[in-house]
Amino acid sequence: MTERLQRRLVFATLAIALPLATLAALSLGSVSLDPIGVLRSAGARLGFGGPGALGETGEIILWSVRLPRVLLAALVGGGLAVVGASLQSLFRNPLADAGLLGVGPGAALGAVVAVNLGWARERFFALPLSACAGALLALLLVYAIAHVGGKPTLAGLLLTGLAVSALAAAATSVLLVATEEFRVRTVLFWLAGGLEGRGYEHLGLAAAFVLAGTGALLLMARALDVLALGEEEAAALSLPVHAVRILVFGLCALIAGPTTAVAGSVPFVGLVAPHALRALVGPLNRRLLPASFLAGAGLVLVADLACRSFGEHVELPLGSVTAFVGAPYFLVALRGQEGHG
Amino acid sequence: MSAVIEAKGLWLERGGRAVLRGTDIALRPGDALALVGPNAAGKSTLLRALAGLLTPARGEVLLDGRPLPAWPRAAVARRVALVAAEDTAAERLAVEDRVALGRYPHRGPLAPFTEDDRAVVARALRLTEIEHLQRRPLGTLSAGERQLALLARGLAQDPAVLLLDEPASHLDVRHQLHLFRVLDEVRARGVAVLAVIHDLQRASWAPRMALLHEGRIAAEGSPADVLESEATGRAFGVSVRGVPVGDGPERLWRFEERA
Repeated sequence: MTERLQRRLVFATLAIALPLATLAALSLGSVSLDPIGVLRSAGARLGFGGPGALGETGEIILWSVRLPRVLLAALVGGGLAVVGASLQSLFRNPLADAGLLGVGPGAALGAVVAVNLGWARERFFALPLSACAGALLALLLVYAIAHVGGKPTLAGLLLTGLAVSALAAAATSVLLVATEEFRVRTVLFWLAGGLEGRGYEHLGLAAAFVLAGTGALLLMARALDVLALGEEEAAALSLPVHAVRILVFGLCALIAGPTTAVAGSVPFVGLVAPHALRALVGPLNRRLLPASFLAGAGLVLVADLACRSFGEHVELPLGSVTAFVGAPYFLVALRGQEGHG
Repeated sequence: MSAVIEAKGLWLERGGRAVLRGTDIALRPGDALALVGPNAAGKSTLLRALAGLLTPARGEVLLDGRPLPAWPRAAVARRVALVAAEDTAAERLAVEDRVALGRYPHRGPLAPFTEDDRAVVARALRLTEIEHLQRRPLGTLSAGERQLALLARGLAQDPAVLLLDEPASHLDVRHQLHLFRVLDEVRARGVAVLAVIHDLQRASWAPRMALLHEGRIAAEGSPADVLESEATGRAFGVSVRGVPVGDGPERLWRFEERA
């Protein structure tokens, strides 16, 4: 099989699987909806056929509860996967990920600070922007510390990310517990993630940032390819290395901040999706970024479905589900990379 | 013919140490120059200064007679290509995609590649004789093939000056011969080639040789002139004796440690 055919198959599979997963996620849940009814209801909204295919309750569940949540799950997953793929090019390491580099915990801290100081109540965009700032700060901190004394090793990078993540998570917990109105449940949300009760306002908020950031990173696909060749070669090819790095950090924070603000920490998605696809579509970002977006969207969509299908009155934390899948994957991939020196 | 690239009195410090102390060097189109010198003589530093990656504290690099800082970065990268000793690109990257990234200085981050770009990439693959490898991931190549792919990326920049940092150090003898034959062809097309070469015997590939010692060009001329000079003996701490091969001008050199 030629590489070209393989790549087309991968994209075709993703393009078919994502709508199917979306349909499944819209139909399944605490109240099951008939998939055909869901499709007919969607058709009615688009102006084909009569209304009310699902009955009044079903329509409300589908359009007011499930659709925003499902779209948000896809957006969060797609955005985090694009962030992961971009950071992997930037750090020249296929195991780099927003979660491992302190971005998620940094964003969570930023968001909690905004809530805690009351900014989030005063201004609509204070919460996501503060989360962006937290994510960016964490990234810059990890980058700066890891680069003290030359090019960081994988271990150095991961350990620095771990330390910064732990620091941010600790500060988040202290902030939450120290504030009376917050309870353990909120702490759990920021540390373990979840999409329970998320609606259109959250979707709108995340969509603006995620789509803008993803679009900008797609435009930088070739620059990311050159950056992945290493600092010296990139500079010799006239790429403004430091400016591009800062820009990529900024765009990653722009995506990771709001996704964390609406979904809490959703670890490993940014690692698994691009890492698996790199083997299938190759490392060129003009293919890897869109493929990662689709795969990440599907992953979180399915993970969220698993969370809300677990039991009648209990929802699993989304971040735990992605970690259950992602952490073993990471360990296997890490062994593989060490094996290659 | 005037120099396409020229360093004048370069003075450059790295890590608090003056690595280049008034280095002068010039290449005209079609020149091939082997740069030799003991470890830490500043050879790589000189290459990077010529490519505009390091800024000298004193002196200047002239490209087509104009100082480097007066050129836009992309314009320098369209005229000067730097080929490193070792390729560290992703293992899964296909050879043709690796080579095509050499078009970045011509197209920038957004403009799509044109027929012209594809033709230059194809020519680079042909010149280096790795067309049959173009769809292979880099990780499946031998060290010699990978070095040729890296050279092809440099050629894809369509440069007037090709700077190579120890291009042959990881190659077996057959791949070395192949590499130098490719460099001869590149030179015949009017490209100025400057190569740092560790192996003094191998460095005699080039008709001109320059010895860099303590940050200055200590000897320059034909390989025999340079290798048999007192400067080379002093720089490396060896004595050198040239042995004629057959009746032609070709020579081999014997090196012995100095007492």
